[in-house]
Amino acid sequence: MAVIICSTPTKPLRAVVPVKGLLPLIAPSLVLVLFFAIPMGMMIGISFQSQTEGSPTLASYSRFFSNDLVLAGLARTVVMSGLVALCVTVLAYPLAYYLARATSRWRTVIFALAIAPELAGVVLRTYGWLIILEDRGFINSALIWTGLITEPLPLSKNLFGVVVGLTHVILPFGVLSLLTSLQGINPNLEKSAQILGASRLAVIRHIILPLSVPGIVSSFLIGFTMAASAYATPALLGGAGFKVMATMVYEQVLFYLDWPFAAVMANVLLILMLAAGFIGSRLESRLHQKLHL
Amino acid sequence: MNRLLTYLFRTALAAILAFITLPLVVVVAASFSPTSAVTFLPSEWTLQWYAALWDSRWLDPFLLSVELAVIVSLASGLLGVLGAYSVAYAKCPGHTAIMALLLSPMSVPQIVKGVAVVLFLSSIGLYDLLGTPGLVMAHIILTLPYVVRMAATAMFGFDKRLDRAARILGASVTQRIRYVLLPLIRSGLFSGMTFAFIISFNNIPLSVFLVRPGQTTLPITVINHLEYSLDPVLAAVNVASLLFILGAIILFEKIGGFSAQFHGGSK
Repeated sequence: MAVIICSTPTKPLRAVVPVKGLLPLIAPSLVLVLFFAIPMGMMIGISFQSQTEGSPTLASYSRFFSNDLVLAGLARTVVMSGLVALCVTVLAYPLAYYLARATSRWRTVIFALAIAPELAGVVLRTYGWLIILEDRGFINSALIWTGLITEPLPLSKNLFGVVVGLTHVILPFGVLSLLTSLQGINPNLEKSAQILGASRLAVIRHIILPLSVPGIVSSFLIGFTMAASAYATPALLGGAGFKVMATMVYEQVLFYLDWPFAAVMANVLLILMLAAGFIGSRLESRLHQKLHL
Repeated sequence: MNRLLTYLFRTALAAILAFITLPLVVVVAASFSPTSAVTFLPSEWTLQWYAALWDSRWLDPFLLSVELAVIVSLASGLLGVLGAYSVAYAKCPGHTAIMALLLSPMSVPQIVKGVAVVLFLSSIGLYDLLGTPGLVMAHIILTLPYVVRMAATAMFGFDKRLDRAARILGASVTQRIRYVLLPLIRSGLFSGMTFAFIISFNNIPLSVFLVRPGQTTLPITVINHLEYSLDPVLAAVNVASLLFILGAIILFEKIGGFSAQFHGGSK
């Protein structure tokens, strides 16, 4: 009679491939170091380079902070990004609320409509807005045809055009981040408030809005950071009349060839992003604690 | 009061959806319009702009973009699986920190990554690498974090007992990778690679620094033209490349079947 020996392994079983877990990391980390870490380090180094002598200097930074044109561009970037973040959040909220609560067959259609434009890429959508907003574009020619105006309204090549275009580009991301937050709110809270006699408006003001604040914060944050680093939409819808950091950096690198200055501008943009991200995530975690989520 | 609110809410939804779809509709309409004047509903329809696409002016950038997207999605797929394997499956020492490092390029804006790559190549004198090699480098850095994240998500959910069973039954290492690991992470990997393909194909903020004459991607060619005119042929280019992206997604879905994970996961 055969004896079946059931031995429990004394060592934990090895992973799929019998190699040390770190070995497969060699290729991705090499790529990351060579294509990302070294270029980033070099860019930061170049920002301290002076054009004439060899010793590191803050000259380019002081040039940045004493140049009114550049500072105006930085201010435009911040204002534009704030407005875009606000518009994205305001427009995405009803859409996300509908998607979080709807059960009808329209839900899939509306979800697809809200997200699908992302596949079209930025160029197609910006081109669409150019056709609509241009001086001889769709809106202006319609208004002139009806006789309401005689001169075209300035809808593109300014803040308005850029905010409209960027809001359109970033809206799907706002919808997704609000959707996550709104889906986490228990629908029974709304129902019980309604049973107890609360009006729709009261339910929105006292239950849905407060509980979705983390989603609002993350939508605002995504809107701000994506807008501040966008290139194509400000370049096309803003043009020479509305320069932001991204388009100014591009000019420094490719036309003026002032590398230390370009590196300083890129660093300032990076610091702006990281600061916004840091503040946003701190705010989010504090809100989560407060709401016991 | 409640009825009024419902009515207002529906109107707002319709307006927002109109805002989302309007530019797309306008571009499609413009691509069939015979005149370069912008009219919303052209009285005549033409396919002349689509016929004009068969020209090296558009074909060359298109082929470069496709080549780039293919190389970038394959490379970041391979590198992403390796990275995700160490971090999410083998749980190598310090895997949380390494994961954060692998995802770190995400927190740097694209325009800054673009400046870094172009300054790096120029200041070490490798001007020759601007153009396609530089584009490949920059795009891999852009897409790698997404692929790592999606492949890692697939591997976190991987049931290690399946691999153990295969090993007990005598499967070799290659067989275990080929028949156990890869099929189980396939949908996650393919959705990551599809994502990489799309963001590489549509990319502007990185490519704008790295293209050079004769080696320009399709989106950059289009924006360079758009700065001067609203030529309707550009509408046709945009619609055609959108159709190409949709076709690529359907093809990838057929090969990789990644939509299964969305169907399984959603409510």
